Order: sequence, then structure tokens, then C-alpha cells
Amino acid sequence: MAAATRQQLAEELGHIEAQALGGLDLVVGQLDRTLEALETQDLDLAALVVADDDRIDGRYLEVHQALLSLLARQAPVAGDLRLVAALLHAMKDIERMGDQCVNIAKTIPLAGHEPPRSPEIVDCVLRMGAVAREEILQAKAAFAARDAVLAEDLVRRDRAVNALNREVFRRALDAGADEEAREWAMLQVMAARALERIGDHAVDIGEQTAFVVTGLFREFTDGSQPHVGEGA
Amino acid sequence: MTNTIIMDDQLPTRPRVSVSAPSPSASAGTPQPIERPAPALHVGDLHAHYGDTHAVKGVTIDYAPNEVTAMIGPSGCGKSTVLRCLNRMHEEIAGAHVTGSVRLDETDIYGPEVDVVAVRRAIGMVFQKPNPFPTMSIYDNVAAGLKLNGVKGVDLDERVEQSLRGAGLWDEVSDRLRAPGIGLSGGQQQRLCIARTIAVQPDVILMDEPCSALDPIATLKVEELIAQLKTRFTIVIVTHNLQQAARVADSTAFFLLGELVEHASTDQMFTNPGDERTERYVTGRFG
Amino acid sequence: MTALTLASPRRRATDRLMRSLLAAGTLVALLPLGAIVGYLLSKGLGAWSWDFFTTDPTGNFLGDPGGIRSAIVGTVEMVALAAALSVPLGWGVALYLVEYGRQGRFAATVRYFVDVMTGVPSIVFGLFVYVTLVVSGLGGASFAGWKGSVALALLMLPVVTRSAEVVLRLVPDALREAALALGTPRWRVALKVVLPTALPGLVTGSLLAVARAAGETAPLLFTATIVNATSFSLADRTNSLPVQIYTDIGSPNDLLVQRAWGAALALVALILLTTLVARLFSRRSHLS
Repeated sequence: MAAATRQQLAEELGHIEAQALGGLDLVVGQLDRTLEALETQDLDLAALVVADDDRIDGRYLEVHQALLSLLARQAPVAGDLRLVAALLHAMKDIERMGDQCVNIAKTIPLAGHEPPRSPEIVDCVLRMGAVAREEILQAKAAFAARDAVLAEDLVRRDRAVNALNREVFRRALDAGADEEAREWAMLQVMAARALERIGDHAVDIGEQTAFVVTGLFREFTDGSQPHVGEGA
Repeated sequence: MTNTIIMDDQLPTRPRVSVSAPSPSASAGTPQPIERPAPALHVGDLHAHYGDTHAVKGVTIDYAPNEVTAMIGPSGCGKSTVLRCLNRMHEEIAGAHVTGSVRLDETDIYGPEVDVVAVRRAIGMVFQKPNPFPTMSIYDNVAAGLKLNGVKGVDLDERVEQSLRGAGLWDEVSDRLRAPGIGLSGGQQQRLCIARTIAVQPDVILMDEPCSALDPIATLKVEELIAQLKTRFTIVIVTHNLQQAARVADSTAFFLLGELVEHASTDQMFTNPGDERTERYVTGRFG
Repeated sequence: MTALTLASPRRRATDRLMRSLLAAGTLVALLPLGAIVGYLLSKGLGAWSWDFFTTDPTGNFLGDPGGIRSAIVGTVEMVALAAALSVPLGWGVALYLVEYGRQGRFAATVRYFVDVMTGVPSIVFGLFVYVTLVVSGLGGASFAGWKGSVALALLMLPVVTRSAEVVLRLVPDALREAALALGTPRWRVALKVVLPTALPGLVTGSLLAVARAAGETAPLLFTATIVNATSFSLADRTNSLPVQIYTDIGSPNDLLVQRAWGAALALVALILLTTLVARLFSRRSHLS
């Protein structure tokens, strides 16, 4: 039988996709370490997370360059072109997710070495982290399988993260009278916010999956997202 | 102990607009004003045969006025045959016959009262291999369509200059109009043939792989020309070069085994085609 | 390393052998030609003189035999008329066969008969014209130059047609298509595009037919016969080189025999000239 045509394009695309989705694995690793550092107040682990972000940045550059080269040499169209666009977009999301982990890790030394003022807030934050982790893995699975339904389901998961974010915010408001307590609470709000952004980026990747499959780019959620500051 | 924390991003507000597929009437490149409204071509249930071979099977398609429509598809899919049915050249082949209708605006060119010769003056054709008449000069080649048919009352000098300008060739040959037509380079010869075609002032220009015999630079020049010509003519182009169809055409039609599989805006065809077979062809996955 | 070594000695020997064989064969083929030319020159050149070309044969058995002016003039006249008859007709038939008759049964039949005609012996054409035009007394005097032309034309017709058909077929279809696509009717395409493009080749083919006809004796024996005086009317008997040679060569008078050789040389020279012109014309061809 005749050999399949455009083998090289298919192989290259496959390799780049593996690299990009591998970036999601790197993010999950970073997130795990961040959450552990948050829980145990481990400063060394936090510093490791900050340093290790270089790997994710490096992966971004790799994938970006490979995609540019592919566009120039292979002139992909239709489904291939959509995949390239989606990978570019998703890789940016992955890089941002890495940055958000760094943001969280940076709050840890600043929070001080005293026991946390509010175990409930910490618990919320850690739960947010767990759901965010699930979202990342689900986004990866959906993209790899080109499953638009699974991708859209991310919205449901993300709502939980958003709800927890709002709870952290509420609890932080009642953090306490003294300055140190308030400062600590602010840092927790920032960490929560960073986790909420990670969740959003995972949903973005889900939208890219839907784009690859259907050719239509559509925001999964209608209506406005509640911003920080708007109560719920 | 306050520490300044530099947060990374100021989170941008996400757009609330839902972006759907581009509208089907999107033109390739920046739209140019229509200089001379051309008619549309409507093909209805076209069947074409070479003897016993059924080459075109029930094709129905509309070619929009003042737009470039590309016909793509693998070898033997019938696109060239369809093209030749549009100006009744198919019937010049021994044993060939056609059924169905091809309407130029409201007139069916296969109607019983219709003069074949008049059809071909309204629907011109440019061929794959440049074919200027070897016995004629550049001037005579361009004027051939008028001279051969004994058209009177036309200022030949003016028409020839107009046509050569329209084909982007005037500057290169204005000083040697009496030189033989075959003395030009391949790209120039093809533009000469285009000048010859437009000198007759047709409504539609059919192009059968006009750039396959040309080098890349000559190809690009002809493509630029096509973009300008569509302000005055309706253009139908058959091409093997998908990138060319993508660059040049407003809408693209994909043919396979004698049938029309899909016809959509070029945008659509190359970003999100509807039919699986189109997707496979356009992305180059055969075998 | 084997690909780069020189040819083996055996191969070189075979090469040399074949080359010599081919050269020898060529020489053998050229030998008769050389002999003819040599013989003609040696026998006929002596007869050439100014008078030879400017005086008519006197018809006297004894004394001055005269030149061959009337024969040359007669040949040129009759062949010219024959060409004027057969060339347009031949081109016309060829145009029909190529432009309209690629596949038809009628065209195939025509083509077959044209082929047959190329094989018909020239004497048959002469006899045909003899019976239809001379014996019947059609067109006045029984023997006439123009009747000779008719016979020659019949001879030339299939040759002209065949060569014209070949040349017309060489015109690329792309040119026909281009003209058709401009909205030109088929007959105009044939006349104004195909014909001019093929013209050099057509002329070459016709000139070759002319060269052949100039040398034919048999048709003229029964139609134009022979006469001494130069005539320009072709309405009566007309002299011609082949017939003159035929008549003279059997004579016991040596001068007449020599005149015959001179005339033969003149005829060959005439044909050579015609062929050279044909060659020059074919160089201007658009179909190479």
C-alpha cells in the first residue's frame, strides 16, 4: 500500500503536542510542591518552586519555536492549523500557570513562621489547590483525547474553585484586628487568587480543545465572572 | 514588617464576545471596488461524458460575480472537465457530450438557439501552457481575438494597449509590439495570453492551471493580476496548488471522482472544512 | 571502481567493427548516386552552352540540332500549372482530413484512397488523361500542354495531400484550442491559424512534389507529347525535358545523344534547385 502522506508533519505535530501536554505535567508537579510548602511552611521547597519555573519557561520557548518552524516549513491548514493555534494558546496558559505557582510560593516566606491564624482559610486554600490539580489533569486528558464534552465539564469543576475563592475572601475579611493578622490574611487571599487563575487557565485550555474539535472558538461561560470585590 | 510584593500580572479582563466562524462572503485580501460588474454563472445538474466515461456527475454550483472561485481536487476528479463545459470547449472533443444547464445570468449557454462562438466570446479561457500564436507579433496576438473574428469598429491600437496594461505587460513590451509573440519568457507569454483573452472583453475568464508551467516569480505576478482582474470579470480557476487557491480565491470548491464535495469561502475551506474528505485532501492526508 | 574503468578491449574492437561496417554500408549506398552524378556531368556538361539554353531544337536530323529552350520552358510551364491545380486541392483535402476528419469513416476512406493513389504508376495517369481528354477531344486540340499538366497534377495530388496532412498534424492542438476559445469558428481557425503556422512545412512538401513531377516522362508522352517550338500557351503540344530526353537518347546522331545528356543534367539541376529552395523554406518553420 502507498505510504501515508505528510508523515513528517503528523510526526512533528505529535511530538510538539506531547511536549506541550508534558508542560502540564510539569505544572502539576510545581503545584504539588507549592501546596506542600504552603501546608508545611517549607521555605526550601518554596524556593525550589521559584527556581524550577525556569523549566516551564524553557518548555514554553521550545514549543513556541517548534510551532513557528512548523508553520514556516509545512504550511498546515484546516485541522492541523487549528491544532497549531490551540497549542500556541495553551502553551501560554501553561506558562502562566507556572508563574502563578511561583506567585503562591513567594507568599510563603512572607507569611512568617508563626502558626497560621486561621486553619479554616488554609484548609480552603489547600482544597482549592486539590481541585485545581484535578482541573489541570482533566484539561490534559480532554486535549489529548480531543474530547470537547470533557473539556466543557471543566467549567463545572472551576465553579468549585471560584466558590472556595470567595469563601477565602470572606473569611479573610474577619481575619482579626492586628496588622500581622491582616497581612497574613491578605497573603492567603493572594494565594487563593493565584489558584483561581490556575483554574481559569485550565478552562482556557478546555476552550482550545473545543476549538480544535469544532473549529469554533467559544467562551464556555456566559455572563460575567464575579470579580474580586463583588460579593456573592 | 511590610514587604512590597510585586505581583506578576494585572489580570486582563476576558473578552465577553463569542467569536464564531468567519462569514461566507469574506473576500480574499482587502476588498477592491468593482470596476465593471460581471455576471454570475450558475451550473445546474451538469453531467459530462467522454464516450462511455462519466467524468462529471451531477454538479450544481454557482460562481459569484466579480469573485475568484477556485476548483481543487485530485487528478481525474473532473474539475478541468467542468471548466471546459463552462465555455463549451468540452464538446470539441470527439465523442464527448454534456447534459445539464450552465446559465450566464439568465441565459442557458447550452440552449438550442445559442451560438457557440458567441458563448466563447463572452466566456474566455486561459490555458495551462502559454500558447501565443507563433506566426503573429505581440500586437497581432493581442488583437487576434478581434482580427480573427472580423470585429469592426474597434480602435485596435487602443484596445491592444488597454489589454496589455490590464495584463500588466504594457511596460515590458510597449517598445517591441511587432516582435514575435513567442520571443517572450514563459511568464510574459502567459500574460500575453491573458491580454489576448481580455481584449475580446468577455464577462467571465476561465483559467486552467494558469501557473503550473511558470516559475515562482512569474506565478506571483499572474496571481497579482488575477486579484486586479476580478474587479472587471468573474473568474474561475482550476488549480493543483492548494496554496495558490488559498492566496487567490474568494471561494473554493472541492471535487472528487466527478462530484462536487464541498463549496465554501476559502477561509472556511482552509481553517474548518465541513466534509471529512475535504479535510483530508486539504491537509494532504492520502493513503 | 568498476564503473569508472575504460571500456574493455573487446568492446572497443566491437565498436570499431560496427563503425566500419556502417561506414561501408553508407559508401555502398552512395556509390550509385555518385556514379550517376559523375556520369551525367561527364556526358552532359559538354553539351552545355549559351546556345544550348537559348535555342529551340531544330528537329533536323543532320546539321545543327539546336538547344533545349522549348523543353525547359515547357517543363516549367506545365509543372507550374500542375502545381497550381494540385497544391490548393491537396492542401484543402489535408485540411479537411486533419481539422474535421480525425475520426470519421468518410475521412478514413479518403485517406485510404489517397494512399492508393500515391502508388499508382505515373503512366496510368497519363493513359487516364489520354483517354478522357485527348481521345475525346475535350478542350480543343488533341494533344495539349495543359492536359499534360492535368496528368502531372493527378500525380502530385496524393503526394501533396499526404505531406500536407503530416505537417498539419504537427500543428499543436493548443493553438487550435486557443483560437477556438477566443470564439473563432472552426473553418476560420483552420484557415487563419493552422494554415499560416504550417505554411513553411506545407510549401516544403509541395516543392518536393513539384520536383518529382518535373521528372516524369510517361504522363507527358500521351498528353503533351513533343514539339520543337517554344510555346507559351499550353493549348497545343508542348515540349518538356523528360520527353525531349526520351526522344533524343535513342537517336543514332551523336549530337542528339549528347543533347539528351545535357538535358538530363539540366533536369537534375532544376530539381536540385527546387529542393534547395524547399530546404531554405523549411528552415523558417514554426514547428520545429
